[in-house]
Amino acid sequence: MNITINGKTCTCEKGEFLLEVARRNGIPIPTLCHHPALAGQGSCRVCLVEVDEGRGPKIVVSCVYPIQRECTVETDSERVRRERGMVLALLRKRAPESRRIAGMCRLYGAPELPRLTPADTGKCILCGLCTRACTELSVGAISTVNRGVLKEIATPYHEPSTVCVGCGACANVCPTEAIPLTETAETRTIWGKTFQLVRCASCGRILGTREELELAAKRCGQEPETLCERCRKAATAQILADVYGD
Amino acid sequence: MQVDMQTITDILHNYPAQQRYSLAMLQDMQRHFNYIPREGMEALAEYLDCPLSSLYAMATFYKALSLKPKGRHIIKLCDGTACHIRGSVNLVGGVERLLGIQAGETSADGQFSLELVNCLGSCALAPVMVVDDTYYGKVTMERLPEILGQYREEGQP
Repeated sequence: MNITINGKTCTCEKGEFLLEVARRNGIPIPTLCHHPALAGQGSCRVCLVEVDEGRGPKIVVSCVYPIQRECTVETDSERVRRERGMVLALLRKRAPESRRIAGMCRLYGAPELPRLTPADTGKCILCGLCTRACTELSVGAISTVNRGVLKEIATPYHEPSTVCVGCGACANVCPTEAIPLTETAETRTIWGKTFQLVRCASCGRILGTREELELAAKRCGQEPETLCERCRKAATAQILADVYGD
Repeated sequence: MQVDMQTITDILHNYPAQQRYSLAMLQDMQRHFNYIPREGMEALAEYLDCPLSSLYAMATFYKALSLKPKGRHIIKLCDGTACHIRGSVNLVGGVERLLGIQAGETSADGQFSLELVNCLGSCALAPVMVVDDTYYGKVTMERLPEILGQYREEGQP
């Protein structure tokens, strides 16, 4: 099937998400809550575009819009820029401390909205990507808590989690760097809990926290790693060289 | 209040260990204890083999569930449009003075919890107040002590 994005003809399968097709064809669409490993979050609405399937253009959220029929798409029309600017203006009120959102606001000429008081929640836009990363990749230590204006991301009872392994997946996927993660030479602190870091036995690069490595080892039924990826490859290559000679 | 672990186990074992029954189990605990004790949350997470965080998200999302002990009697004061116009704000103040608690709180003796709700669907009776499951319509400040008095335990002030 062929669709037209910004005048360019793109080939796609029925049911593919519009954002994926656009990015595959080198057409940029800005996003916040989209992560390739955790696609389809669809909560920030920044990736909205204009789609015309023959019945006039409509605004859709491209990261969760499955293509059903031939259509023309505009990702940067005047209307898209205006609507995206408004979405960003509201996100800036939600996360006034995020520099990334402030930068996107400048790019799209987002209105100031002086009537609205900025939230005091720092950088978080409550997209929920971190909770999904934690649940799907790690242990499910964090979740959304409360609802409406009181909604936030937190550990149960706001206490340091008993199950968190300090993998940092939540901080890693966060589009606005809203989750504080601090590291010293030996420790990593996240969600109010401090973990011992394990270093590569050969080169000394940080491998991760001990709990994180033990969890990974348990899941694949092996002993915890002691070498980093590079040193592991080098060690394997050395074994092969020893076996087969020069 | 001492939480009886056996009661929690009994509540949980009324249902199969599947996550789709978690809300029902939380509701049963809420009904039995008037709140959901932390022991209950942890036992449920263990029973279902699911993260405590997902249950905590649920327990904090639904208004019907509470993680703090609620009073024996729940007072729901309507502050919907019709009741608001008919002076529900004064009633809120009145109940707050009579019980010495703010909306959303529970009295020190554990007798009453006061909640503000947005509409009880009986606007013709505005302003409406519901104590436990009994509706009181066209409530006035003068009637408040009498209504609440019925629920006070004997020997209480």
